[in-house]
Amino acid sequence: MATTSTTYEPPPTRRSITATRPLMGWRTVDILTVAFLGAAFGVAFWAWGIFYNGPVTALQIGYAPLLGLFVGPWLLAGVVGGLVVRRPGAALFCEVVAALVSMIPGTAWGAGVLFAGILQGLGAELAFAILGYRFFGVAAAALAGALSTPLEWLYETGRFPDSWASIPVLSSFAGNGGYYAEWVWRDKLAYLGCMALSGIVLAGVLAWVVTRALAAAGALSAFPPGQERRESRAV
Amino acid sequence: MTVTAPARGRVEVSGLTWRPYGRREPVLRAVDLTLTPGERVLLVGPSGSGKSTLLRALTGLLGSVEAGELTGSVTVDGAGPGARPGTVGLVLQEPGAGVVAATVGRDVAFGLENVGLPREAMPDVVRRSLAAVGLGGLDLDTPTSALSGGQTQRLALAGTLALDPSVVLLDEPTAMLDPTCAAEVRAAVGALARDGGRTLVVVEHVLGPWTDLVGRLVVLSADGRVVADGPVREVLAAEREVLLGMGIWVPGAPPPEPLVVPPGLCTAARAPALTAPPFGVDRTTRHLDGTARTVRAAQLDDPLAARPGTLTTLVGPSGSGKSTLLAALAGFLPTTPEAAVRVGDDTVPADLDAPDLARALAWVPQWASSTIVTDRVLDEVLATSRALGHDDAATHDRAHRLLAVLGLEHLAEADPRELSGGEQRRLAVAAALLHGPPVLLADEPTVGQDRHTWAAVLGLLDAHRAAGGAVVAATHDANVVGRADVVHRTDAPPRPPDPPPTRTPLVARCGPLALLATAFLGIPAGVLSPHWSTTLLVVATQVVLGALALAAPGDGPGPPHRLRTVGLRLLPGLFAAATTAWSTWLLAGHDLDIACTVGLRVVVIVLPSAVLVPWLDPDRLGDHLAQRLGLPDRPVVATAAALQRVHTFGAVWTEIGRARRVRGIGVSARHPRTVAAHLAASTMGLLVRTLRAAAELAVAMDARGFATAQRRTWWAPAPWRWGDTALVLLGLLPLVVAVTAR
Repeated sequence: MATTSTTYEPPPTRRSITATRPLMGWRTVDILTVAFLGAAFGVAFWAWGIFYNGPVTALQIGYAPLLGLFVGPWLLAGVVGGLVVRRPGAALFCEVVAALVSMIPGTAWGAGVLFAGILQGLGAELAFAILGYRFFGVAAAALAGALSTPLEWLYETGRFPDSWASIPVLSSFAGNGGYYAEWVWRDKLAYLGCMALSGIVLAGVLAWVVTRALAAAGALSAFPPGQERRESRAV
Repeated sequence: MTVTAPARGRVEVSGLTWRPYGRREPVLRAVDLTLTPGERVLLVGPSGSGKSTLLRALTGLLGSVEAGELTGSVTVDGAGPGARPGTVGLVLQEPGAGVVAATVGRDVAFGLENVGLPREAMPDVVRRSLAAVGLGGLDLDTPTSALSGGQTQRLALAGTLALDPSVVLLDEPTAMLDPTCAAEVRAAVGALARDGGRTLVVVEHVLGPWTDLVGRLVVLSADGRVVADGPVREVLAAEREVLLGMGIWVPGAPPPEPLVVPPGLCTAARAPALTAPPFGVDRTTRHLDGTARTVRAAQLDDPLAARPGTLTTLVGPSGSGKSTLLAALAGFLPTTPEAAVRVGDDTVPADLDAPDLARALAWVPQWASSTIVTDRVLDEVLATSRALGHDDAATHDRAHRLLAVLGLEHLAEADPRELSGGEQRRLAVAAALLHGPPVLLADEPTVGQDRHTWAAVLGLLDAHRAAGGAVVAATHDANVVGRADVVHRTDAPPRPPDPPPTRTPLVARCGPLALLATAFLGIPAGVLSPHWSTTLLVVATQVVLGALALAAPGDGPGPPHRLRTVGLRLLPGLFAAATTAWSTWLLAGHDLDIACTVGLRVVVIVLPSAVLVPWLDPDRLGDHLAQRLGLPDRPVVATAAALQRVHTFGAVWTEIGRARRVRGIGVSARHPRTVAAHLAASTMGLLVRTLRAAAELAVAMDARGFATAQRRTWWAPAPWRWGDTALVLLGLLPLVVAVTAR
């Protein structure tokens, strides 16, 4: 029996192309693109909200923590903003603009949606910062999606401890909290798990897919993803 | 003779070559050009010859929104074009692409803000600039959205003039305007030219109306070289045949004959005619504050019948509702009387499902880029045929031949979203005709076409008619109107007088920061509300305060729909309160007490927003965020500009949906896959359009000094008034109740 030997070449390590230096040297097109992307996502958030009402109602009647599975799309703006522009602050800026825009026509969360946008954007920003604004592959996107959720989760489920009741001033906080403050820990953790999973898939991986699709459409020629696409085609 | 200022505006271009990454061939090749101060130049060339690119190079912005390889140099009066902000002013082709603000005064002042001119000095400069373009009669508070296309282009010109440019560049400034508006813009440019002292470069396809305004004609070839340059009349006389060969609309030359298309390329299903009695289309505008106003947006005065073999044109000034009428004919807009448009005797287009609509008619919208539904030019042409189940070799063959007729065959494998505007429009015509619809509704099918492609488009329309199809076109193009069997003239329906001013509610007197802060105060008030009995008290306090905020003391008619607005905005919040209460009841021990507490908590969080957020104005919010809170200027300005355009995003979303429907790609709630595909396609389409708009605006803003605007001044002050203090103090009241009333 003949044996075949194949020389196996490891795939070249795919490093992301970073934004032009200095990283904080935002060009006008960077700023406007993040602001416009944020605004477009804000409109999309609002349109998705119509479709969101269905599963929300169904799950609230059933097992509400599963609702976390549907938060992903609301985190997309931050991750896409970060993946496209690749400068410090892009993720936070994009998510906050999206939240601001979706707040104006009125949502189920009132001004809270802007607050949530800040928390979610900070999470995504944190992920890109941890990676030193050097990695923007699918794993980085997934991390950004996942980290978009914990602060938001804290805001929605946080509950001030009952023990504060005996402390002056803080007593008024005791036992109070966010939307789902009264749930037991098991349900709260299930909610966090669902949110993180949704963040990874529907915000992280989906944002990566969206960014690649936008680059493929030629809409990102001024940005690193557009450059990556050109280089991957120019074999 | 008065003493003139020292001549400025000397432009020297030497050896300029530009190749965008991803293209094999340069767009500009070793361009050498010297413009003397005060010279007026017309720059022409076939589509894709790099005219716009050369203009961008002259502003020093080449490469700022597109990456590529640049060699050679451009100087203006010996320095780089961006050395002084606003040295080189640029007016873009699409009216509105460079609008940065909600009001006329603020928009013109944008460049002045960027260079840090003190606020007191701004109004004078702004008024002078507006007067110079013939807009001196406009109130500085006129909304930019209320201007016609011609006024918008002149506004853009005024915005560049405010910075006293040495060079003014106009990129096909009248291509998208009707003849009247185009003449207004040319008059403004003419006044500018007479005033002297500024170098002027105009890019245009249609030379006739410009030849008296310019002295010199520069011709670029298809491969990006300067092939002719000299006094305008001499070049026109000497290079006439070359220019005609390039497809340029040379003055005096008769319009080209439509291309003769091989028979069999166009088919048209025999079908009953599309008919409509006189009808109107009403448009309801909803304002941020929740009020709505319905006005007649378009009116068809005579009965319309798109009979087989005919060309019907809708003509009239920009804004007279031609596009609206076409959209209504396609069944996208409700008509008055209802269901006026019929296919045959009793079918209403709006009632048809997507494939049947595609079988009945095709539509080429004004923005051809929004009908793109695939990512390959060939697929784009085939999309409707495929949706209708025709995907055979013969259809493919016809698709290729259609592309060849329109000069797009070499792009068959390209992504349609990367084509130029003129190419996308031709592609939209091909994509609309392949499946042989009985009726073609085309909105400005010839805009931006040169003589060759114009002849091809007209040839296809003729072939479609010869095959038994009907064409209804909205157009400004006199050569198309001249070929029509029936011409419908449209006029903008008279605007009803504005309703008398209403009293303003107290909340309208508060600034955006106070509104935002007080809306936010709902969050701690909700979070700190303990038992539902207290929370009820907190809600009661909020309701009383809300009523106070919306009270409008004084004389005159009261502001309309205050309660309805709040109610509508509260609805999602109440829904959230109910579901949150239910899930808490279910998951936290079936305790009704706790469930009520949680539900009311949500109400406390949401209620202040429902009352206050409608009164937030994006421009004022930007002013206050930058001047009061000290947030960085450039992101704030960008956000305000994005907020200004949010309503156009909604329109884009709607248009993409319509385009997909008329192309035979339907959405059905019974097939979740079609819903997901629709959402994905709409979102992607919206994002691509948004990114394009951002890139265009970035160029316009940088041309007005935004890139270097580190220390901006602001057109409008951002005062904190006593009303703001009162609002925040009263807004604290529910929080106090939540903490103390236990």
